[in-house]
Amino acid sequence: MPGLAYLGIVFAIPLIYAIGITFFDWNLLRPDLGIKFVGLKNYIDILTEVQTWNTIGRTLYFVIGAVGIELILGTAIALLLNRDFPGTDIVSSVVLAPFMMAPIVVGFVWRFLLNRTFGPLVHLFSSLGLDFLTSPPIFANGDLVIPAIITMDVWQFTPFVVLVVLAGLKSLSTQYYEAAEVDGASRWQMFWYITLPLLKPTLLVAAVIRTLTALRIFDTIMVTTQGGPGYSSEVLSFFAYRLGFESYEMGSAGTVGIIILTLALIFTLFYIKIVGVESE
Amino acid sequence: MKNLGKLALNIMTVGAILLVLLWTLYPLMWIFLSSLKPAGAQFQDPPVWFNFEPTLDNYREFFGNSEFISAILNSLLITIVSVLFSLILGTPTAYSLARFKYRHDDKMLIFVLLSRMTPPIVLVMPLFLLARALGIIDTYLVLIIMGGLLSVPFVIWMMRGFFADLPIELEEAAMIDGCDRKNVLVRVLLPLVAPGLAATAVLCSLLVWNQFLFVLVLGGSSTRTLPVLVKMFVTEQSVNWGVMSAAGIITVLPLIIFGLLAQKYLVKGLTMGGVKE
Repeated sequence: MPGLAYLGIVFAIPLIYAIGITFFDWNLLRPDLGIKFVGLKNYIDILTEVQTWNTIGRTLYFVIGAVGIELILGTAIALLLNRDFPGTDIVSSVVLAPFMMAPIVVGFVWRFLLNRTFGPLVHLFSSLGLDFLTSPPIFANGDLVIPAIITMDVWQFTPFVVLVVLAGLKSLSTQYYEAAEVDGASRWQMFWYITLPLLKPTLLVAAVIRTLTALRIFDTIMVTTQGGPGYSSEVLSFFAYRLGFESYEMGSAGTVGIIILTLALIFTLFYIKIVGVESE
Repeated sequence: MKNLGKLALNIMTVGAILLVLLWTLYPLMWIFLSSLKPAGAQFQDPPVWFNFEPTLDNYREFFGNSEFISAILNSLLITIVSVLFSLILGTPTAYSLARFKYRHDDKMLIFVLLSRMTPPIVLVMPLFLLARALGIIDTYLVLIIMGGLLSVPFVIWMMRGFFADLPIELEEAAMIDGCDRKNVLVRVLLPLVAPGLAATAVLCSLLVWNQFLFVLVLGGSSTRTLPVLVKMFVTEQSVNWGVMSAAGIITVLPLIIFGLLAQKYLVKGLTMGGVKE
């Protein structure tokens, strides 16, 4: 099994190493200090720091906000495109485009749209009199920067939910609807009592996968705010990156990594529980 | 009365579809049009959408810059080699997992799933330290190994599904005719799963081509890929918005086209089989 052997080397070894470095004090910029075993000190330091909890809170704010909106909007768009209506096939394809884009480019596009002097969105906001969206500029406004990053994420990843829900809708049997129609159910009742319960497993899968990928967010923040203003848009992955590749504190950076991994593991276990790993 | 209600519903549907298209296309159109604007037109205040002389100057500038050309070549090389490498490594594994019973095959699958679900930021630090110790930072080798790390779990998971869908009688018949297991896989099964293989390749390309963090940390000036190049130029003080728009289009266009070709298989791959179609 060459594939498993490969993952054993390039995934399992780094993973064990990632856990190992969290027990050491190791600064790459100070080789003279060496690598010292410190036991659980990194965990105690990181977990007693207020900034860590603020970052965890900010990350959850982003993840819950983005995934929540994506699920609702994605389901609505999927229901719209699932209607028997001319052109929906082409529209479904067009709608997918943002999802294929490199997140780095998505960040660049939104930075351009929101540029304070020549960004078209900024002009749109001022002509609509929405001054709170233009001064200070959104990416420099501590209160609006996370909503702005959520908006970028919603733009890029709602298509994923659309895709998954559309597949789920196509697999639903029409007999329930025929029966409901005979019983005189309204559209809204059919959605609420038939479609939604039947879609529940599909929506759960979409929610878990989106949560796992939203936890990783890094690229778009790197091009737009770099965690700023101040630390207002610093999420866990950016915090770990900064500790690791700006302060070169391998132990602390690794510890933040393990916090992210723990969150990811919780969601992965949940995923395995709902989907099941069956051997065929 | 009923017809009137239906008309109203249709009008609402059209309105909603147009709204969805506007939301999706507004940013895309802006960057596409900006890439065609002559120098300076990007800074016009108020911004112009259509009222300009389209030109290919930005693309000419992009392709006239050796740094940009080498980023395209690096992206192509790393993507193609790591995807091929991952297919070669992952496909036989996927076949074994689909066809044979192992004592721990559920644990193997969880291991594969875990490798896919682990956030890259967790792995990038130890990988950086290991690559530094081995002296392979800023080499194609380390970035292709990373491409493999991203793609192999994906190949195993997706191809396992495609193999499991094939009837086992096919293999048995071929083996009775004197074909050995390796020949069955190569001559009988691979042609049958070719569309699945192609879709898997497309999705892996998407992962590797768009990857940023691994290349940022493990790459360097001689192995810079398009996303890292875009990031470098975009976070500078004076951004050349026209050329960067062209760079953005060049980075995303091939993958949008590729991705749409594999659209049918996207769900299966992206949910790791979580949604039954």
